[in-house]
Amino acid sequence: MAAYVLRRLALFVPMMIGIVAVTFGIMQLLPGDPAAVLLGEDASEEAVREMRRALGLDRPWWMRLASYYADLFRGEMGDSYFQNQPVANAIAQRLVPTLEVAFVALLISIVLGVALGIAAAVRRGGLVDAASMLFAQLGVSMPVFWFGILLMYLFAIQLDLLPSIGRGPPLLFAFGQALAGRPAALGESLMHIAMPALTLGLTNAAVISRLVRSSMLETLGQDFVRTANAKGLRPARVVFVHALRNALLPVVSVIGLRFGALLGGAVLTESIFGWPGLGQLAVSAISQRDIPLVQGIVLTFAVAFAIVNLVVDLLYAVIDPRVRLE
Amino acid sequence: MMRIRPISCAALVSAALAAGPVAGEQIRLGADVDAGTLDPRVMRDTTAYRVNNLLYDGLVQLDASLQPRPDLAESWTNPEPTVWIFTLREDVWFHDGSELDADDVVFTFETILDPDLKARFRSLFTPIETIEAVDERTVKITLKEPYAPLLSYLDMGIVPRDYVEGGGDLSSNPVGAGPLKLANWERGTKIVLEPFSDHWSGAPEIDGFEFVVVGDNTARAQAFEAGDLDIIQSPLSPQDIGRLVADDRFSNAVMGGLGITYLNINVSDPLLGDAGLRKALSMLVDQDTIVNQIYEGVDQVANSILLPSSWAYDPSITQPGFDPEGAKAAFAAAGWTDSNGDGILDKEGANLGIVLSTHSEDPNRIQALEYIQAIMLENGVDASISISDWPAFSAGVRAGEHQIALLGWLNIVDPDRLMYAQFHSSGTLNWGGYANAEVDGLLETGRASIDVGDRTKAYRAAARIIAEELPYFVIAYQGYQVFHTDAVTFEPDARGMMRTAIGK
Amino acid sequence: MRHRGGNLSLIVGGSIILGVLLFVALGPLVSGYEVDQLDMRNRLQLPSSEHWLGTDNFGRDLWTRMAVGARVSIAIALSSVGIAVVVGSVVGLVSGYFGGWLDLVIMRIVDVFLGFPPIVLALAIVAALGPGVVNLSLSLAAVFWTEYARVVRSVTLAQREADYVTSAVALGASNARILFREILPNVFGPVIVLATLGLGTAIIAESGLSFLGFGVEPPTPTWGWTLAYGTRYLRAAPWLSTVAGLAIMITVLGFNLFGDGLRDYLDPRGVARRVRRTSRT
Repeated sequence: MAAYVLRRLALFVPMMIGIVAVTFGIMQLLPGDPAAVLLGEDASEEAVREMRRALGLDRPWWMRLASYYADLFRGEMGDSYFQNQPVANAIAQRLVPTLEVAFVALLISIVLGVALGIAAAVRRGGLVDAASMLFAQLGVSMPVFWFGILLMYLFAIQLDLLPSIGRGPPLLFAFGQALAGRPAALGESLMHIAMPALTLGLTNAAVISRLVRSSMLETLGQDFVRTANAKGLRPARVVFVHALRNALLPVVSVIGLRFGALLGGAVLTESIFGWPGLGQLAVSAISQRDIPLVQGIVLTFAVAFAIVNLVVDLLYAVIDPRVRLE
Repeated sequence: MMRIRPISCAALVSAALAAGPVAGEQIRLGADVDAGTLDPRVMRDTTAYRVNNLLYDGLVQLDASLQPRPDLAESWTNPEPTVWIFTLREDVWFHDGSELDADDVVFTFETILDPDLKARFRSLFTPIETIEAVDERTVKITLKEPYAPLLSYLDMGIVPRDYVEGGGDLSSNPVGAGPLKLANWERGTKIVLEPFSDHWSGAPEIDGFEFVVVGDNTARAQAFEAGDLDIIQSPLSPQDIGRLVADDRFSNAVMGGLGITYLNINVSDPLLGDAGLRKALSMLVDQDTIVNQIYEGVDQVANSILLPSSWAYDPSITQPGFDPEGAKAAFAAAGWTDSNGDGILDKEGANLGIVLSTHSEDPNRIQALEYIQAIMLENGVDASISISDWPAFSAGVRAGEHQIALLGWLNIVDPDRLMYAQFHSSGTLNWGGYANAEVDGLLETGRASIDVGDRTKAYRAAARIIAEELPYFVIAYQGYQVFHTDAVTFEPDARGMMRTAIGK
Repeated sequence: MRHRGGNLSLIVGGSIILGVLLFVALGPLVSGYEVDQLDMRNRLQLPSSEHWLGTDNFGRDLWTRMAVGARVSIAIALSSVGIAVVVGSVVGLVSGYFGGWLDLVIMRIVDVFLGFPPIVLALAIVAALGPGVVNLSLSLAAVFWTEYARVVRSVTLAQREADYVTSAVALGASNARILFREILPNVFGPVIVLATLGLGTAIIAESGLSFLGFGVEPPTPTWGWTLAYGTRYLRAAPWLSTVAGLAIMITVLGFNLFGDGLRDYLDPRGVARRVRRTSRT
């Protein structure tokens, strides 16, 4: 196990080197000069040249790439051009909101997806099945940002039930407050997170519901379930205890990768709901040519993605003894 | 040197009052971007500009008509054209409890002038030769040459020297002498300000002021309608404006802004070097439809480079108006006719192809360009569109690689700001390399003269030439629009400043 | 049971795709309007007998724009998926067939591309190349190709060990011959299934990039752009975004159903599904 984890971690290294190089290459190709953007349209050429020197952009590209690797090796990601603070700080401020909304979205999609999947499998061929599979198809066919805007229109504007934009108190903090008997913050926090998380979770819920349905159908057809049925166990018990446990195994295996998709999907969702996360920061960093910040964000996404996958693989091996880590 | 302020009675009382649970209502304003830095010397975005206006006091403040009025400087004199002497107010305190004196003023401008600070507005102050503290309350500015616009730029926030030299980081922990101080800054979400009880003019009578960041114009309008914001202001999406105006929960004000939307017609382009062709193309720009349909009437149809809000404005200066028939004649006069009958104008065997460009961030500009293109196509100009994001687009324009670019200028508090750098043959922002000796002379006069009458004459004459030769075709005077709920009262200011909302 | 579901999916999906193609082919002909015909006096009109789907912000006939826009959106989808299929298949074949260090290096490169948030990668590439149908297709292909590389590699790995391949090797067949004659045919099924599903993903991705301001430049009428700016007129002209959104949704649904249906015939072992489930788009 430890050797496996080490080997997986070792694979991070070439991936990171590659990601830095590809990002750097793309940013090199981007037309536009960070120094000119930074100084604004009324800057003189002389001022732009001075700024380029101050930012170190006057050095040849290979030198800048090499020094970035060197910085990274020392655990440094440099300073953001536009934010007057280290990249690490800028990312730290935005990572938590993104993880927050991705996590809630994952939760929603698992609950919704599993419930629909089970209902569809148990009532196979019936109305529930048809409805939930229609949902599954529509959920992956709908542009996410359109869904988000429709939600906002309905719940924030027409019904005035939810705040249309922004983030409430940090979820963990609000949770702590609630445990201490002050639930107001949690309510506030959840009201804000509801629409972004639902938007982000929609596609996922659809994917998971299909997965659960087919995996349930397979399991329900297997011997041990038939045996359980034959032994006269209550149907609910058969479904929820015996079949579900087995049916959920493949779900666990995809959750890690879906979590990665959620992190990526956050770009659009965050833009719509003014959610102060990494996705929105990524878009603005690219459109400002804030090279160190783009590098940092891409690396953060990649590391988060890799770690979640590793954890899921480990978890999977723990849950399902048939799986061996190789 | 630093004097520590004795704690005032007012501060004690307000501290005592504040000790209880405060559930005060904040004024919440929707901002389109988060501030990058809250150091006024290096600020770059409009949010920082507006937040810093509340956090910092300047030597002067510009009132709603952009006239400088005393702020930290209670008076000033101009004994000779190149010398300005400012007398500072007494008992002015920074948020950290230190006292503001002439040293801080000198420090602020000296650091701005230092290229190492990378101050965006440095070029506005480069005509300053020296700035010195005559005594604790007197600042003397000596100019290299007479520079009339100076006073309009002296609303720059004054920063505390001791704090900065002691390692204080103004960009994230701002310390000013303004009526509000920073309470909390959640990056990307909101900037929360609270009253500064020791402001020289007394504490503002509000509980706090929040700048809430919502990037998307429509989403911001929706948040306002949902009651999550108290004030929203330009930039707004024109599509939302009619609805907001009709909503009787909200008050609104529209006024001439301080910006223009214009076509930069590159005079160094082989085709567009011909003023006749520039004129003919300009006659295909349907300003009225762009302003009233696409921008829903918030902006104003422009007639010259001078803004209506400026003292130099002259309605009698006009650019060529929308006139497809006249354009046909103008094209013919410039040698462009459809000689081969393919529907596209040609000259010496070459078709008239023009690339129109703008940036992807502003959907209204894209629509305006799309509309201009359609009219040009209908009238025999093979116009195509190129749209890229701001850095790429602006790099092309700065390098003078564009043909016709749609873009804008903001914060034109003085005609000099929109003309000298843009049209003087040695101007730093003269991307197309426009050169006209007469214009050069007029712009120099406008910059050097102190007399408003002389300046007005010079700028009008220059504007008339520009409207004739068309290195720029000014489409619209950008309007400034603000909506607010009844919870707020203030006097709108075209720059979007919020001082009057907090009673200052 | 499974085949009945597959049939139904194929029929419904196929009908939708046919319908869209008919609309693309005939839509502009029957409307009586030009795609770029401006009419500022009649902008943002409700659907009527004159304009079946209403008019857009320039008074252009929305029906015509949707029909022409479908061509552009489908062209982007086809070319981006096409490029991804070719690149991904070649890479996957080489990686799976030759194995060893080559496989190791290639799979690390695939890891690198998988490590990027897809939309950020696509957006950065579009920004670098500039807008336009071709560049947009390239940027989406840069996101999509890893999927095909992984599928083809895993099929190739399995086939390489199959009896008929080992015997072909024993008979002295050349690498090229084995790759193209023996292995490639087995790759077709899963790749076609994956590509059909990928077309839907590409159409959605195009709309997302348009929303962020990185789509095809106007006045080219893509669905994504119509949806993206339609959301700005959500109150004044809700049909704009509704029409575009529904068009995208229905078309994507068509491709998804068709792809699902194909799977039962072309990819009975579910290779494509396994990879797709774990893909990030």
